[in-house]
Amino acid sequence: MTKDTYMTPKRVIVFVGLVLVFAGTLISRAKAQQISRPTSVVQLTGLAGVKENAKGTLSVEKGNLHFVQGKRSSDVSATSVEDVVTGSDSQKTVGKTVGMLSMAAPYGGGRFLSLFRTKIDTLTILYRDADGGLHGAVFTMPAGTADEIKKELLANGAHATAVEDSNPAASATSSPSSQKGPKQ
Amino acid sequence: MKRLLTPGIWLCVAAVLFACPLFARKSRSTRIKAGAIQVGMIQSDEIKLPAEFQIALYENLIRQLGKQGFQHVYRDGDRNAIGITDLVVLHSTVRGFKAGSERARQVTTVSGATSITVHCQFSRPDGTSLLERDVNGKVRFFGGNLKATYDFAKKAARVAHENVSLPDHE
Repeated sequence: MTKDTYMTPKRVIVFVGLVLVFAGTLISRAKAQQISRPTSVVQLTGLAGVKENAKGTLSVEKGNLHFVQGKRSSDVSATSVEDVVTGSDSQKTVGKTVGMLSMAAPYGGGRFLSLFRTKIDTLTILYRDADGGLHGAVFTMPAGTADEIKKELLANGAHATAVEDSNPAASATSSPSSQKGPKQ
Repeated sequence: MKRLLTPGIWLCVAAVLFACPLFARKSRSTRIKAGAIQVGMIQSDEIKLPAEFQIALYENLIRQLGKQGFQHVYRDGDRNAIGITDLVVLHSTVRGFKAGSERARQVTTVSGATSITVHCQFSRPDGTSLLERDVNGKVRFFGGNLKATYDFAKKAARVAHENVSLPDHE
């Protein structure tokens, strides 16, 4: 009688295995949804029909890099992307107007404020339009989000010259270094 | 004495007014005749340039050329540029780059400047060089490092404006 109520070790192993597989599928789906979630970005330059320094959201949807700014939106097909590069930089924590006004603060208060900076990611893409013309676009976004968008783009058919992200130049952006070419 | 001075001054003014258009004509005649202008991607083989700088240089250059009155600015690889008579291609190669620091600029005001030097070559599609210039872009006090690319683009577009004459661009 008791033999019927307890599961044999073999059945337990199979049951646990099934639970793990199910949980794994759920987790991977949740992760995939998290990646495609729109990220707040600033489009510095490059997208057709979008002004410089435009704030909006960026996501990868249906094989396109989708930028939305208010009611306007701009799409770039992932397959037309020839290169994707991520990097890191920093920007002033205190905003533009307040930052400028703070420069007038006594005893170097403004300069003290400019010491505080937040880390950001940069995403640079290179793509071709229907006529074969080369375009480039640069975005800045919260730290740690650029790599996810890059992975999504690559999964949707974008190309990258360096898949394993190593942007040696990005360090040059954030840290002062000097490189000079041959003199004329 | 006054009787002599007044005609003399008028003569000088007349000479200047007469000479100015002559010089202007001379400078216009030396301008490169172009059907359209095509901007090549910024090359930086010798200098390691951050990708965002390279793209910002290219995009700002195209934008500034448009602002200078060039109506037909073709991008690198644009098939519409094929077959245009008197096409001028602008090749840009980065020759020097110093990545400054916005923080250092704001804290010290004397250090941390970002500068970039680009060799601009205006040529025909077959490679015949028409004009070569070194143009630099700088950001000394305010703004992010990428502002140097905007400074370069403005200067390079001015060089194009002064030296290239398009049919729709006087």
